[in-house]
Amino acid sequence: MTPATLLCILFTAGTLFYVFYLPGVLQLGPRKTRLAFLLERKEAVYENLRDLNFEYKAGKFPAADYQAMKTSLEEEAASLLAEIAKLEQAAQLASSRVNPQTNPQPKKGASI
Amino acid sequence: MAQLGSFALMLALALSAYSFVFGLVALVQKGRGTERLAETARRAGIATFAAVLLAALVLAVAAFQNDFSIAYIYHHTNRDLLWPYKLAALWSGQEGSLLFWSLLLAAYGLVLRLRHKTDQRLFAHASVVIAGIQIFFLLLLNFAARPFGLMQGAMPTDGAGLNPLLQYPEMVIHPPMLYLGYVGFSVPFAFALSALVMRYPGEKWIHITRRWTMVTWAFLTCGVFLGMHWAYAVLGWGGYWGWDPVESASLMPWLTGTAFLHSVMMQEKRGMLKTWNVWLIFITFMLTIFGTDLTRSGMINSVHAFAQSSIGGWFHSFLLIIFVVCLVAYLKNSSFLRSEHKLESLVSREASFLFNNLLLLVACFTVLWGTLFPILSEWVQGHKITVGAPFFNRVNVPIALLLLLLTAVGPLLAWRRTSTESIKRNFKWPALFAVLAGVFLVATPRSWGGPFGMRPWTDISYFYSLMAVMLAVLVAATVISEFVRGGRVISRHTGQNLLASMVHLGHRNTRRYGGYIVHFGVIIVIIGFAGSAFNQDKEQEMTFGDQMTIGAYTLKCESFTQDDNPNYASEWAVMDVFKNGAQIATVYPERRFYKASQQTSTIVANRSTLKEDLYLVYEGQSQTTGHPIIKAHLNPLVMWIWIGAWIMLAGTILALVPNAVPVRAAAQVPVRDAVTVGAGD
Repeated sequence: MTPATLLCILFTAGTLFYVFYLPGVLQLGPRKTRLAFLLERKEAVYENLRDLNFEYKAGKFPAADYQAMKTSLEEEAASLLAEIAKLEQAAQLASSRVNPQTNPQPKKGASI
Repeated sequence: MAQLGSFALMLALALSAYSFVFGLVALVQKGRGTERLAETARRAGIATFAAVLLAALVLAVAAFQNDFSIAYIYHHTNRDLLWPYKLAALWSGQEGSLLFWSLLLAAYGLVLRLRHKTDQRLFAHASVVIAGIQIFFLLLLNFAARPFGLMQGAMPTDGAGLNPLLQYPEMVIHPPMLYLGYVGFSVPFAFALSALVMRYPGEKWIHITRRWTMVTWAFLTCGVFLGMHWAYAVLGWGGYWGWDPVESASLMPWLTGTAFLHSVMMQEKRGMLKTWNVWLIFITFMLTIFGTDLTRSGMINSVHAFAQSSIGGWFHSFLLIIFVVCLVAYLKNSSFLRSEHKLESLVSREASFLFNNLLLLVACFTVLWGTLFPILSEWVQGHKITVGAPFFNRVNVPIALLLLLLTAVGPLLAWRRTSTESIKRNFKWPALFAVLAGVFLVATPRSWGGPFGMRPWTDISYFYSLMAVMLAVLVAATVISEFVRGGRVISRHTGQNLLASMVHLGHRNTRRYGGYIVHFGVIIVIIGFAGSAFNQDKEQEMTFGDQMTIGAYTLKCESFTQDDNPNYASEWAVMDVFKNGAQIATVYPERRFYKASQQTSTIVANRSTLKEDLYLVYEGQSQTTGHPIIKAHLNPLVMWIWIGAWIMLAGTILALVPNAVPVRAAAQVPVRDAVTVGAGD
């Protein structure tokens, strides 16, 4: 057996061991939900608001433009928050059905 | 040695195939056990990297050990080749460069698979796509372009040597940079396709791929500029960009990648242009495959294409498969890509991004059309018609100027809509500076040389140069005003001085202010390009004591001589350079004859300053007199191009750094969460 052949065999054995010898419990990551999407979108809108505030303070926009843009972003944020609150309530309700002891209370002011 | 390399490639193919097939099965099937199957597929993808790395190492060791029994090593190296070029031989020929492509893809795949916990399912999809691409390259390496093919007959004592044009320091790093750029676009492509197929909600895939895309774009930018510098320093024609098909092949994905980096912000900020973004990244990836095809298959004649072969059919089939997969995925899931908002005004930041994208795509299409025209004309008319620089310049120079205008305008516009008052407020000073710069260039005396004393009405190229400089000043003024205005806000909050506040500002929103620095780099590059309208050249036969004048320089031939070493024989002239009567330098334009490959190459003598390059080429000896022929070029502002490229790279690096945490201060908005006052994106 040549050294190259031996190396080929050892390399293959190592590779097969790595690929197929798995630990007993696998570490899995989170799954994406509609709620996660809305929370992301909320962050984006908040970032837009921060951006707008900063640019206004930097003197880039007149007050009238700023107010109009701010109102429009706030409306978008409000509708997102409303849907987020709805989904959170539904999730809590579902978990209370599975485990009635938890007795969830809806968040104060969750609906807008 | 060859046996080990061939085996590693075969094993890599088997592992990739496993990763693809069982990764796909795990995604399609539902039920117990699929997680474990998916994990083996992920691990097979990781192991692919080890196998491809082993193959690449075997090839590199064979080059250093002068193992000429391997045909690739024989054709691309020789015993006296310097060691950096032996390493560069790995990507100098077709088989080696395809192996290098595969290695880089495996490395990107490794990083992606190691980060799978970020989003298990999305990463599993992307891993399958990467495995699919890897299979294509490994099929090529195992069956069509084998790097470990053996020489027939007696073992040669020395190799045929590396192409002399490649024996230049930049050629050791230019191809890896370009390939890192090309291959890197596989990752955003894989995520975009995965997100589409999964109907993945939200923009998280964009957040995940943002850094990948920027890193890839930075590599591609480096690759393009290194290629320009190599062409300038080695090819000896006095220019850095000749619209060669291979240059164009690297520019096209750069243009669409740049468009993607801009338009993706609209999706993140406003949930708009989803279909556009997905197709932009699909097209960018397809253009990288097309670029590799063009460089490696010998489809089109090029000074940069160092391989001729019949693998074009493989690439065309692969491109077709990619297109069909993308189209089917899109048609099945197009409803998922509906925009969340509509364009509210043509005078808004969204509109400026949209126009920027349209212009970049028009430029890309023009370059593609010009590049493919010889092939198309041969199909239609039976003979090749090549389009040259005038065609490309006629279309692309005005597009570049419009893009420059948008670069100035875009950052100053508001999202959604911008009022006339806002426009006046933001553009008054930058526009005034731009006009003053134009007036200055026209009013200065022509005796200053270069771009001074411009007469834009005498030649269209002068007009374009003037516009380029004026727009560059406009962009510079807007970039500076953004830093100053933002710095003032920070200064008011923190009490720091303006300079420290501007640095602070850059740290708080690295992406935005890094982007502005990239824009600043672009304008420096554009000013460098504008200088080309004032290029001069002169050719003269010169013997001892002969003089030549070009611009403000006088060149005197002191001597010409020859030398010989194991790798090449060379002849060169010794030229003294005088300016205003005083000697300022001695330069040595040279011509080399490489023995192993029996080819000649030019070593340019270039005296580079901020104002201009004095670029001398040893053209050879006159057949009648035996005297050296020297060609002198005077190229204004070329150094600005290389400086601009460094600034672009610095800006990209800044944009890649995570933001510093902003100071939290509640803003007056009627939503419940605290909104911090900081630099937005």
